Amino acid sequence: MALTSTVQNAIATAQTVVKSSHSRAAVAFAATALALMWGIHPSPSLAQVYEVPPAVGPQSITDPATTTPSPPAQTAPARRSVNSETSASIEMDVSTRSVAVTSAFTGTAITVFGAIAGGDPTRLADASYDIVIIVEGTFTPLVVRRKSNVVGLWINTRSMQFETIPSYYTIASTRPLGKIAPRRVLRSNRIGFDHVQMRQSPKESRRIGPNEKAEFREAVIRVKQREGLYKEDNSGVTFIGKSLFRSEVRLPANVPVGPLATRAYLFKDGRLIAKSDQLVTMRREGFERFVHDLAFDRPLLYGLLTVFLAISAGLIASATFRSRRG
Amino acid sequence: MYFYLPIAEMSANIWVFLGMGAAVGFLSGVFGVGGGFLMTPLLIFSGIPPAVAVGTEAAQIVASSVSGAVAQYRRNNVDIKMGLVLLAGGMVGSIFGVQLVVFLRALGQYDLFVSLSYVTFLGAVGTLMMIESLNTMRQVRAGGSGSNRRSGQHNWIHGLPFKMRFHRSKLYISAIPPLVIGAFVGLLAAIMGVGGGFIMVPAMIYLLRMPTNVVVGTSLFQIVFVTALTTVLHATNNYTVDIVLALLLMVGGVIGAQFGTVAGQKLKGEQLRFLLAALVLLVCLRVAYGLIVTPNDLYSIAPVLAGGH
Repeated sequence: MALTSTVQNAIATAQTVVKSSHSRAAVAFAATALALMWGIHPSPSLAQVYEVPPAVGPQSITDPATTTPSPPAQTAPARRSVNSETSASIEMDVSTRSVAVTSAFTGTAITVFGAIAGGDPTRLADASYDIVIIVEGTFTPLVVRRKSNVVGLWINTRSMQFETIPSYYTIASTRPLGKIAPRRVLRSNRIGFDHVQMRQSPKESRRIGPNEKAEFREAVIRVKQREGLYKEDNSGVTFIGKSLFRSEVRLPANVPVGPLATRAYLFKDGRLIAKSDQLVTMRREGFERFVHDLAFDRPLLYGLLTVFLAISAGLIASATFRSRRG
Repeated sequence: MYFYLPIAEMSANIWVFLGMGAAVGFLSGVFGVGGGFLMTPLLIFSGIPPAVAVGTEAAQIVASSVSGAVAQYRRNNVDIKMGLVLLAGGMVGSIFGVQLVVFLRALGQYDLFVSLSYVTFLGAVGTLMMIESLNTMRQVRAGGSGSNRRSGQHNWIHGLPFKMRFHRSKLYISAIPPLVIGAFVGLLAAIMGVGGGFIMVPAMIYLLRMPTNVVVGTSLFQIVFVTALTTVLHATNNYTVDIVLALLLMVGGVIGAQFGTVAGQKLKGEQLRFLLAALVLLVCLRVAYGLIVTPNDLYSIAPVLAGGH
């Protein structure tokens, strides 16, 4: 790469200028720091994730068809719904109902598990039931921007604002979604990347044409996938025996902090016959909570505290090193 | 060992950021500069959101400048009156700069603005410093003394009104140039996450014609207070100061700086300036590269900023 050789040339020039061995070490150190800088690129896991104020409460996460929110109590049994046509229903729960974000948080995994209850024994045997599990984060507003080349520079020129987008969305199923149910059914239940709910304000809808809107929508999903926040796994749900199922959902370190809605769907022959949901709470704990609350609720105090810390660090350091030198 | 950064909202390897602080601290010790112009791009390249990098770096500059400022004050190398005039300008610049950051972030053009500022100022300062150091080196080789500072010459600045007497600097000049310089540096501090010494020191020497012995102390005096104000303003307006990240950088930085100072004493002035100019130009090129190379994905997403919480 041309730029790498530029760096090497510059370092070589610098080294010919400096003669003492002591300072050559200094230059080598500087070169390492620069090489590091050149090499480091934003990795997807470190991608920028701000927390956005929860403009939309957890209630709106639940499906429009079932407007009642999940029971938050720890002891509440998993919700269960039975379709009148068939006797089969689905029971589901999550290994961890509350995730704590502490200073040691590097992501975590939750296991979604459950069973098909009262199904047709012959159908259970030939495994014609399909299960889809969705974990959805809080709905937040988001802006997508597109860069274009303006006189040689890449500049954000077009943008579109979505009022609500799930901050996190994973979908796991027993088979590819296309084989499980027709699009109409998937869409009405917001199952799959094609049907993730992204609402715009009427003003934005009028401003942006349908083609561009579709591009922006695709871009959101692509960027979110790259950040590890949107995931799709066609074989992520596994059956244990005939009626028990489980799926492991990995929450990355950059997962936006907020409640997660977990939904399980039971399909048979392309028809949705039952569903169940469960809420997983996720909140900051301990030191993380203290610092975050201070920064957002008492920002002046937090700013002054940071400055105080900085001044103390500087003075302590200079006092320590001065006394050591005598 | 990983630590979850409360404001940047990501899990960070603490050794990476301690090491980064130490490396930049070392270089700032060698060259006697604040290091903000190195640290802020480094943080951005490592995945810290640009606004958080700038807000947090302001806090780190407070820590790295305060010990130098105290040491210079003890040696009577601070022109307090000049420092206060520069500071008055700096506060106005900082307040305006933080509001500009709020505005540009909402517009989605902040990242571009930061990059352009870096390319412009580092490119200009780096080029001038490079030419100057090469000329000096040539003169030294030709047998000259290497220092032929013109002094006592009058320029257009002496025609301005509101003259003030600065005893420590032995100057009787208008208060307008130091106010303007201070304001400009405060603006850069708020937008670029730098102390601004790389602009202020040459401006004090060449425009105000202050004696070199008080230049560094007086600029450090201004930088400590302006970056402290900038930290508080970023915390209250943008919520982008990460105290944990700042602490990691401070600890690495103060240790690295101690070793850097020792190493820097082994180098000659013009060699130091040449190396610093090379470093400044490299950072400038790296930022410019990011602006002109085709991005992997033309699209980017960002949260909608609705006044913080």
